[in-house]
Amino acid sequence: MTTTLAPFGTPAAGAGRPAPRPSLLRAEVHRFRSRRFIAVLLLLGTLGFLAAMVVASTQYARPSAAGLAEGQRRLDQAVAEQKAYRDQCLAAGVPSDATPDQYCGAELTAADFGGPEQFIAHEPFTLAEDGLDGALGVAVATAALTFLIGATSIGAEWSSRALVALLFWEPRRLRVMATKLAVLTAAAAVVGLLAEAAWLVAARVLAATRGTADVPHGFWGDLLGTGGRGVLLVVLAALLGFGVAHLVRNTAASLGAGFLYFAVAENAVRNLRPSWQPWLFTENALALVQQGGARVYVDEGFVDESGVYQSTGREVVLSNLHGGLVITAVVLLVVGLGVLLFRRRDLD
Amino acid sequence: MTVIEIASASKTYRRRGKPPLRALDGLDLRVEDGGVHGFLGPNGSGKTTTIRTLLGLVRADEGQLRLLGQPVPEALPQVIGGVGALVETPLFFPAFSGRLNLQLLAETAGVSRTRVEECLDLVALRDRADERFKGYSLGMKQRLGIAAALLKAPRLLILDEPSNGLDPAGIRDVRELVRRLGADGHTTVFLSSHLLAEVEQVCDHVSIMTRGRCVASGTVREVLAGRSSADVRVRVPDQAAARAVLERAGHRVQEADGALRVLAVASPSELTRVLAEHGHYLSELSPVAVDLEAAFLELTGEAA
Repeated sequence: MTTTLAPFGTPAAGAGRPAPRPSLLRAEVHRFRSRRFIAVLLLLGTLGFLAAMVVASTQYARPSAAGLAEGQRRLDQAVAEQKAYRDQCLAAGVPSDATPDQYCGAELTAADFGGPEQFIAHEPFTLAEDGLDGALGVAVATAALTFLIGATSIGAEWSSRALVALLFWEPRRLRVMATKLAVLTAAAAVVGLLAEAAWLVAARVLAATRGTADVPHGFWGDLLGTGGRGVLLVVLAALLGFGVAHLVRNTAASLGAGFLYFAVAENAVRNLRPSWQPWLFTENALALVQQGGARVYVDEGFVDESGVYQSTGREVVLSNLHGGLVITAVVLLVVGLGVLLFRRRDLD
Repeated sequence: MTVIEIASASKTYRRRGKPPLRALDGLDLRVEDGGVHGFLGPNGSGKTTTIRTLLGLVRADEGQLRLLGQPVPEALPQVIGGVGALVETPLFFPAFSGRLNLQLLAETAGVSRTRVEECLDLVALRDRADERFKGYSLGMKQRLGIAAALLKAPRLLILDEPSNGLDPAGIRDVRELVRRLGADGHTTVFLSSHLLAEVEQVCDHVSIMTRGRCVASGTVREVLAGRSSADVRVRVPDQAAARAVLERAGHRVQEADGALRVLAVASPSELTRVLAEHGHYLSELSPVAVDLEAAFLELTGEAA
């Protein structure tokens, strides 16, 4: 080591210039931006989006006149076949305790099949429907990405113990946590906004080149609402990832916990306790983002006295507000518990 | 001014499936400003818990702690700007370069980038500062930790085993640096170490801990003086005959390093007289000095 520097305790070199103001927030933004794994995740997310758009462009096509004519021919054929089956059923006789429609089904028309576009190889992209579905899909995919970003943003700090070192500089643990959460929230919101904006551009391009851009009155408001709620989901997912990784103090363990919940616990609930479905994370995430909320079918079938399974159930509508409140409550619980423990615990 | 003051501090760790561990047991400790204060103790004696408690990482169950005159952990945010610390292993992002790791800490505290370069220079890491931390050798990591601790130009520098992982030249440089810091009139160095020679060479004051308590504290000379052995080394031409004479006179004698060691001598002049009366003339008569190691082992109850 050199020993040629000014003694400690004397002003540092460059002391003529004013010292920069201490800023935990600026340091945290710098730290977040410098994380290579986060940059890699964002790059992979961008590449995934571009790949999905390329695939989408091959799946949609504006129909030609010949194609539409072929679709119309197939549609007419399908309607005729269905009518023939129904006529055959009616000819066989309808039981006295049922109506013809109950026993053989209602007569189907071309409109019930969705038009000739349904019978051609590649459907056209319709901004009015596919635009909203795409906004939902982008929100869910981006939420998965930001869950991972949130988890690694704090998990890596625990793995390296750099979080403990930071407390030698800023011992107010709540302030440290609040700063990290603020930076993550802002970053996730930016990612969510960019993803939804990218989808909007892509949807316009697809509509212009592979379908139709005709939209009903109120569509743009619906799309804006879906996109906005999608950004909210993206932010909440990031905070949830952060909260879980902070509790288990490890990125990989938080991903394991996520897998256990989504792949095992939720499926177990759907099969064993279907009445709990309105409280599952996935259902509420969809309910939060989807225009008009989500409909969940709760199976209430039972085995009767004679041992025969009686199928019955009910449809539960989960509103956007319901979904938002449930997801927010889960995130607050997980993050709040982590912060509370961090504030009180001894740290090695 | 007292830079560290601990009174009756206790800390017990509750452990799953094991009996509780009392890491601090009514610890009293005072470190005055200036110079280098050594902090010695065997493994598990509570040194690191003491440091962690001072830095707010661990909460004491009882007792009062003050850092730079302020109570901690309550006033830690106010005094932390004057405290630099390296506790056990350096804690940095492995994927970040050494320079970036320091810059992030510097931004947190409003330390200039010039100071970052200065500290990198001081620990001879400037040329390797853009390499990733995970690629550093153990010694380089330790040096970066020291650089981080120095960033704030602290009034109190807490170093926990700073020589860990360093090669002999690195150890010499760290000791030189610690000496310089202790002598600069601004910095007090609180040096926790298990290297007794290091403490003896570098420290002005020393505190020795065992089982969560401080069992000795003062200048190195004071701590050693309290453990004076009163043994005397004697060298004569005919050691066998001289030993017999001394034993007949009631002294306990051992042979050591080619000389005689007479134990617990109340009056060395009496020895001279007895030997001279029997025709044995001394070529050496010297007190056996107690070194810090012997004092440490005696105080901590680890002497053989």
